[in-house]
Amino acid sequence: MALPSKVLPGFVASMWMQTTASPFTTANLAVWTAQVATIVGTSAGGTGAAGTALATIEAVPAFGQDDAVANFSVAGSRQSDKIPTQSAPTSMTITAAWNPSDAGLLLIRADAYSGLVDRTYVVAAYDGTNTVAYAFNGRVGQFQIDAQPGAEAKAVFTIHPRGNQYGWSNS
Amino acid sequence: MKVADAVEVLATTYLSLDAVAQGLEVKASEVATALAKAKLDTTEFVCLTILAKYNPVAQTIEQLTEE
Repeated sequence: MALPSKVLPGFVASMWMQTTASPFTTANLAVWTAQVATIVGTSAGGTGAAGTALATIEAVPAFGQDDAVANFSVAGSRQSDKIPTQSAPTSMTITAAWNPSDAGLLLIRADAYSGLVDRTYVVAAYDGTNTVAYAFNGRVGQFQIDAQPGAEAKAVFTIHPRGNQYGWSNS
Repeated sequence: MKVADAVEVLATTYLSLDAVAQGLEVKASEVATALAKAKLDTTEFVCLTILAKYNPVAQTIEQLTEE
C-alpha cells in the first residue's frame, strides 16, 4: 500500500519489541506484511503475535543516525568544506515507569545483563488507519532503576541499534 | 549470477543492502522482469528493488548500442 500523504498528527508513536530474540534480516525489516506487522500490536495497526509493547515508556526518543563530518579547507578559499563520513546509528536512551513485572522491561533487563542479545524493535506511527513503521535491530547497553523518593521509580535503558540494520515499512 | 540467487543473498544478509547489492553481478533485464512480477511488500520485492537500483535497464541498452 502507498504511504499516507499527510502530516501525522503529533506523531502518535509507540514502541514495540520482538519477544523472541530472532532479529529480522535487513530486507525483512522493510516488509510490513507477515514481518514487521507481527511485532506491532493491534492497537497500532499490526497483528502483534510476535511482539510486546514497551508500554510504560514516557516518550519515543529520537531515532535515525548521528552526524559525522570531516572538515576540509583550501588556502585562499573563503568557505571550508564538510564531507559526511561514516556515521553511527543514534543510541536511544529511554525512560519508562518501572513496573517490575512488565514483560517488555523484563526482556530489556535480561538483554542488558547479557549485552549480546540482538532483537528487532519497531517504532510505529499510527493514525487510526495507517501505520508507518521504523524497524531496527538493536542491543540493550544500559538498564538502571532510578528510585527517587519524591517520584515514581523509573527504569532508564539504552538501546544501541546495529549499523545498517533498519527498514521502513507501512501498512 | 542468477537473480534468484542474488535475491537469496540479499534476503538473508544482516549487512547493508546497498553495499551487498553493489557486489552482485546480475543481468539488468532479468532483474527488471522479476521486479515486474514481484508482489509489493514482500522480501523479494525489497531485494529486487535494491538490485534494480544498481542494475538499471537503461544502462544495458546503452551498452548493447555501443556493441
